Amino acid sequence: MKLDFNFILRNLPTFLEGAVVTLELSALAILCSLVWGLVVVTARTAPSRALALAATGYIELVRNTPVLVQMLFIYFGSAVLGAPLSGFAAGLLAMTLQNGGYMAEIYRAGIEAVSQRQVEAGMALGMRRHEVMSIVVLPQAIRKVVPPFTNQAIVMIKDTSLVSSISVAEMTFHAKLLTDRTAAAYEVFLTLAALYLAINAIVSAALRLLERRVAIPT
Amino acid sequence: MVAVRGVSKWFGAHQVLKDVSLDVAAGEVVAVIGPSGSGKTTLLRCVNLLEDFQQGEIRVDGEAVGYAGAGAARRRLPERVIARTRSQVGMVFQSFNLFPHMTVLKNVMVAPVRVKKMPEAEARASAVRLLERVGLADKLDAYPARLSGGQQQRVAIARALAMQPKVILLDEITSALDPELVGEVLAVIRQLARDGMTMMIVTHEMQFAREVAQKVVFMDGGAMIEQGPPRALFADPRTERLQTFLKRFREGYQL
Ligand SMILES: Nc1ncnc2c1ncn2[C@@H]1O[C@H](COP(=O)(O)OP(=O)(O)OP(=O)(O)O)[C@@H](O)[C@H]1O
Ligand SMILES: [Mg+2]
Repeated sequence: MKLDFNFILRNLPTFLEGAVVTLELSALAILCSLVWGLVVVTARTAPSRALALAATGYIELVRNTPVLVQMLFIYFGSAVLGAPLSGFAAGLLAMTLQNGGYMAEIYRAGIEAVSQRQVEAGMALGMRRHEVMSIVVLPQAIRKVVPPFTNQAIVMIKDTSLVSSISVAEMTFHAKLLTDRTAAAYEVFLTLAALYLAINAIVSAALRLLERRVAIPT
Repeated sequence: MVAVRGVSKWFGAHQVLKDVSLDVAAGEVVAVIGPSGSGKTTLLRCVNLLEDFQQGEIRVDGEAVGYAGAGAARRRLPERVIARTRSQVGMVFQSFNLFPHMTVLKNVMVAPVRVKKMPEAEARASAVRLLERVGLADKLDAYPARLSGGQQQRVAIARALAMQPKVILLDEITSALDPELVGEVLAVIRQLARDGMTMMIVTHEMQFAREVAQKVVFMDGGAMIEQGPPRALFADPRTERLQTFLKRFREGYQL
């Protein structure tokens, strides 16, 4: 088997065009999940039983159904409802809904990793509940959350490939088109894999750097 | 300054405080002693409502702590009010509980700035003064993890003082320390006592209790058994329980 490097070079612009969409979707989905996760964890840990139960149910729902199914459901479902979403929007929404649930659980683990003693130290100084959260707990929890967040971000970047099935022209979509046109499947998917690998390598390196930057100095 | 009246507390079915009453006058140092499990920590934690209690009433400088009304009308005060009360009651924990993500200076400044809304510059100046007072002027920018236990506990004391509390609660603040570090922390407390700080001190250091306290309270089995000036109490315990406790303590002490 001989690789046709010329083919790869010739088609690199197509890949990069797709890469831009992949990066856009990844960045937006990660940001939205971070924020949505905060909303979900707030509900999940709320004093109100009903709210906590609803959040738990939500997390179980999104965790136990494939994100691809959620995407298809939202994409085609929105059309049926007469308010069709673009593939990009449906993909972004599905990824946010799913990963927001995961982020909520990651946040919760981070919050629970901050000891009750820290909470009491804050309360004993007269801090209100929300002040204890923002001054004492969250700054410590966020640091504990960076490594699992890195994992989740990488899962999300890989998952963006799924939107190719609702016709979003990101990297995997272009790769599929190319194989249909040229039958150079081996080159195409090798290049595609290399590009995902490169993106994820850069993102993990950046997040490891962040982890070191926010570490509590000793 | 602190008035505890008929306080009872249950953990589930287990009663851990039984009709406890005691007073701490302004400027007074009260030491609480008693065997392990007698409810000393629980009592202290009730004074700033880190534990709730089901009966009785606690007042700090005349203000009810945690609850309003009595009997069937007794209700928990809103969180905002409880937080305000806590801001006037300092607490120093056995395990220091400094905020690990803040420098020493920030640990001391944070509550005055964020809770009391004291201007930053003023809070900083006061924090620096307090840290000088506990002998840590050279550690302002260090993080807690870098400090010895004794140094951490002195920062914790400065952090509590920074809120200019009406009373400070100290729960076995030297128990987690290596023996050679106990002295430096007790010295700070001695100085505070001389400066007229109102304090409630739970301690196993009888010698220290005798020396700094104007009043010693002996608890056993969740009840306040005996209280009085340290000399009288230690020299002439009236109850058998205190006699037994002191006897055991002396034997243990001399071993
Ligand atoms: N969170 C809790 N839940 C249930 N029981 C508790 C709890 N905290 C304390 N207790 C019980 O309450 C009683 C009093 O405990 P407390 O910690 O106040 O005693 P103490 O006098 O401070 O003891 P020590 O000298 O060992 O610190 C004990 O029987 C203890 O087991
Ligand atoms: Mg105790």
